[in-house]
Amino acid sequence: MNMQSVGEWIYGTALSSTIRDNFWVVPVVQSFHIIAIAVVVGSALVTELRIAGVVAPDESMSVVARRYLPWMWRALAVLLVTGLIMLIGEPDRTLTNTPFWIKMALVVMAVLASLGLRRPLLRPLSEASKPPAKALAWILLALWVAVIFCGRWIAYSN
Amino acid sequence: MNIDSTLEFLAHTPLAMAISQGAMAFPMLECIHVVAIAGVVGTITIVDLRLLGYRSHRRGVRQLIADVLPYTWGAFGLALLAGALLFISNAPKYAHNTEFQMKMLLIVAAAINMALFHLTIYRRVGEWDERSPPPTAARIAGATSLGLWLTVVFLGRWVGFTL
Repeated sequence: MNMQSVGEWIYGTALSSTIRDNFWVVPVVQSFHIIAIAVVVGSALVTELRIAGVVAPDESMSVVARRYLPWMWRALAVLLVTGLIMLIGEPDRTLTNTPFWIKMALVVMAVLASLGLRRPLLRPLSEASKPPAKALAWILLALWVAVIFCGRWIAYSN
Repeated sequence: MNIDSTLEFLAHTPLAMAISQGAMAFPMLECIHVVAIAGVVGTITIVDLRLLGYRSHRRGVRQLIADVLPYTWGAFGLALLAGALLFISNAPKYAHNTEFQMKMLLIVAAAINMALFHLTIYRRVGEWDERSPPPTAARIAGATSLGLWLTVVFLGRWVGFTL
């Protein structure tokens, strides 16, 4: 079963036609999607810039991570739900779309990196442990920017 | 020269023509616009929530604003620049779009709200810097800012569907 037939099956479901028949659903869901993106970017920006030593270097990393990482998880949950609604409504626009799959790969990378590298910061760093690499903070921020570029590019590629 | 002929003139400048007729320019500017909006809304929300009494990475409002607001301004400048270039590519249509007009009005309202905040209650921030929740005037400013910016995002997205 290829992506095209998966898309055709989704397109034929009642949920998919309901999303399409109500013209306001897609713009409203997209707006929530963008707001959730803003929350991820805001959270990642302060957390990563703290790790890079640019913002609030006198504040402990665990205090910063404890404030912003939970917001990032919540926003990612909103992104998943709103993204799924868009996919179900317009499967032909996404499932066979190259920028969409590049975006998904980058999102998985960014989420795994945040889980693996940032969640440990929730506990205070012991004296012995090395501080997280500054370069990685910049790479993670660049990753989120690339995710946004790919997301916007979905509309322009088929 | 009336407004409509000015808008037509704008849309026919070489820069505007390059944006509207090139294959890459418009989508690339949109990407930059979205990244910048995420920066503006993501950082201003942190300040607004603190003004509403949610804790932030800083205890003091003054320190939080000093940490975060430069990034809000940087992102806003980028959003404005990318937005202006998107606008001139089809100036008459954007200018006559109701959602676009409302979006511009609300951005002006957000600016007035911020100016009022800085000129009034923020002048006395020393008295309430570490207090949470802050005084009512600061909470109103935070709620107003949050509501305005979230609506701006909604209106911006609607422009894409109504233009």
